[in-house]
Amino acid sequence: MSRLSIWIILGVTLTFLIGPFLIVILAGASAGEALSFPPQGLSLKWYAKVFTVESFRASFALSMFLAIFGTLTALLIGIPAAYALNRYDLPWAETIRTIVAAPIIVPGIIVGLALLRYIVVPLNVTITMALFMVHTALVLPYAVRVVSSSLNNLRGDMEEAAVILGCTRFQAFTKVVLPNIRGGILAAFILGFVTSFNEVPASLFLSGPGVRTLPIDMLSYMEITFDPSVAALSAILAFLSVAIVFLAERLLGFSRYV
Amino acid sequence: MFLNRKEGLALALPAAFFTLLFFLVPVGILLSVAFQSDTGWSLNGYFEFFSKPLNRAVFWRTLKLGLLVAGASAIIGYAAAFCIVSLPPKSRGRIFGLVVLPLMISPVARTYAWIVILGRTGIVNDVIVGLGLSDTPIRLLFTETAVFIGLLQLFLPLMIISLVSAMENIPRDVIPAARVLGASWLQVFLRVILPLTKEGLVIGGTLVFTGALTAYITPAILGGSKVLMLETLLYQKVNVSNDFVSASVIAMILIVMSFTANIVLKRIASVRR
Amino acid sequence: MSDRFVSLTDLVLSYGSTVAVPNLNLDIHEGELIALLGPSGCGKTTTMRAIAGLLTPTSGSIEIDGRDVTRTPANKRGIGLVFQSYALFPHLSAFENVAFGLRLQKLPDAQVRAKTEAGMATVGLTGFESRKPAEMSGGQQQRLALARSLVMQPKVLLLDEPLSNLDARLRLEMRNELQRVQRDTGVTMVFVTHDQSEALALADRIVLMNDGKIEQLGTARELYAAPETAFAADFMGFENIFHVEGGHLVNGSARLPLGFTTDAPVLAWRPSGVSVGAGPYSGKVRSSSFAGGHREYVLDSPLGEIKADASIETAEVPIGQSIAFDLPQDTARRLMA
Repeated sequence: MSRLSIWIILGVTLTFLIGPFLIVILAGASAGEALSFPPQGLSLKWYAKVFTVESFRASFALSMFLAIFGTLTALLIGIPAAYALNRYDLPWAETIRTIVAAPIIVPGIIVGLALLRYIVVPLNVTITMALFMVHTALVLPYAVRVVSSSLNNLRGDMEEAAVILGCTRFQAFTKVVLPNIRGGILAAFILGFVTSFNEVPASLFLSGPGVRTLPIDMLSYMEITFDPSVAALSAILAFLSVAIVFLAERLLGFSRYV
Repeated sequence: MFLNRKEGLALALPAAFFTLLFFLVPVGILLSVAFQSDTGWSLNGYFEFFSKPLNRAVFWRTLKLGLLVAGASAIIGYAAAFCIVSLPPKSRGRIFGLVVLPLMISPVARTYAWIVILGRTGIVNDVIVGLGLSDTPIRLLFTETAVFIGLLQLFLPLMIISLVSAMENIPRDVIPAARVLGASWLQVFLRVILPLTKEGLVIGGTLVFTGALTAYITPAILGGSKVLMLETLLYQKVNVSNDFVSASVIAMILIVMSFTANIVLKRIASVRR
Repeated sequence: MSDRFVSLTDLVLSYGSTVAVPNLNLDIHEGELIALLGPSGCGKTTTMRAIAGLLTPTSGSIEIDGRDVTRTPANKRGIGLVFQSYALFPHLSAFENVAFGLRLQKLPDAQVRAKTEAGMATVGLTGFESRKPAEMSGGQQQRLALARSLVMQPKVLLLDEPLSNLDARLRLEMRNELQRVQRDTGVTMVFVTHDQSEALALADRIVLMNDGKIEQLGTARELYAAPETAFAADFMGFENIFHVEGGHLVNGSARLPLGFTTDAPVLAWRPSGVSVGAGPYSGKVRSSSFAGGHREYVLDSPLGEIKADASIETAEVPIGQSIAFDLPQDTARRLMA
């Protein structure tokens, strides 16, 4: 194929994938009151307004909390699981793998509903706690997969060498395994963070008065008001995610692990 | 490989139990709701659900859109992936990065863009009215087409990524070799590229199809109540009519469809091997 | 010097339900360099891993230096192991790799430094202290792995296919290096290999293993000159092996009269032991290749394939032509059934 046709195909595809997003950035920079494109004059007032909306601030805090602590918890139980699935001759290994991977396959909306009906209501668990459970479980498969793939790249005889040189098994893990899968763990954290932060379907039913994640809050704001602030907020969030991923790629070659 | 099974289980079980207790058990209970009636186990929930034309229509629409999106993304995906792997390594990395980039952006934001483009005062209508093709703005939002476009944009990157990594594994000189042996580009695609990238296609296809089936935001924003899909229907059943039996039925349908897609596509990939 | 420095008694080793080594008895002498030789899957690596403590025996016992270590964990056995892949720690410098075990012993820093430097000097890596393993050549990595094990002053040093990842030139160099280290330190060395020439060149004694059992145990000379079984003979380069029945050589349904009488059930000849150009038998040349000092023929004979080396002084016989050959008594090796 000629270079020209290659670039035409790629140009069209990328315009389709990214172009709409550039439009959102501009629409958020409108000076007008209603959402439109091209924007009616340029201003940053909607970008500024986002920070003054009380509910956005609360839901941003909740989403940050879920993304950070949900992902950390997922790593806390996911790293040992990945390690065990990789290095041990486990009984029911396939079953364990399937269970841990299940949240990827089960549609999120069902999960939120199920938790609301059968955990939140009967067990008197708070919505925040339920959100934390769902986000952790959703991030867990990614954590296990990414950490597994970096464990796969680390030969098992490395640990045996450490043991023969006098390490206990635990020391072999902390002194040899951990330093060598640090990159994978960080990559898993970023992937988990982004997944959790952007999650919608599973959090849909798990919202109460004053308790909702940022994307859900944006959805309900859109239903009521049609001003460009959601466009501005979308743009800000996108910049944040892209900046994090870009930094991660620069620092440790993030894409190797995903 | 360590042989101490107890130690291994102690490490692996917390994760498994967490998912089991806080995820699978509640989902399992929800799924069982549709099988219960006053008299014991029954399939009445299912019969009732499918007896309503609206529900049937939503079911078929979801299946249709899922297949269309998967099919369209396969076609575009092959073209894009082929172009990406024929680039020199440096620009290949950059373009690939641009393809991955949208995945990091909130689906809410990505879907929102289409309102700006397809809305009554959006760009497309501006052009249409401006050119005098129509006196009044035409309805583009809340159509199947809008949902299709939104879903395609959302999930296309997954297909491209799968196909690019599959194509990178094609041995270097196979395609020139096939050309030298007299194959046309179509034959190269059908006889060389397709068989060698089948696994990538299956992975990508499963991701896109199940993604489209279970997407909520796109049909909610771009389809609204005019173009319901199973997920938005489920939301309505619960929030509007408190109908948990229907919700349970829809949940089961979604899970069965995802699994079936998974299994069928894997079959196809291995049978033609 | 103990003759039972390492002693394996009635050792049974299994992975899950697969028995890799059904019953092994072996004594290793103090200060010797002994090779566990055999094809892959023969149980040599499993045996080595059991000595190291990476695998717990199903039954039987392992003694090292008079102490029963059967249940002693690998980190308390006082043995060293150089892995086939070297298993160097990629996140640590060469220096820290060698110092790894010493630091675990909580030795004072000055002592760690002194011992590590001495260890690196022993293998000729002085000056490479700050390199990461990935920045070193295969040969250097091998030396580093060796130094890392040696600084721990192990009672026994185990080496898994120590030369297999090196190119031909380095292999020769490393072979000498290992012998020198063994002479200088007097450490008992056990190495595992599938390469008979490596075992012959390096080892004081060779344990030839097959199917988890010891096929033959002896010095390199003994094994090379006097293999006792068909398996040992085949491994030592006797490529023509035939059963004897009633004065005939037998291979399947083919029979050829033997030119001499013997009571051995099996006879074997090296290619160099087959004489070509004259003799009672005849075979058609299937392939012929020049091998420097001699010419290697593969002949199709009534007995099947015969491998024979001929002097380069004689004219080459073209492929497809018949040639006479003999399986003489003086080069025949008598084997057990």
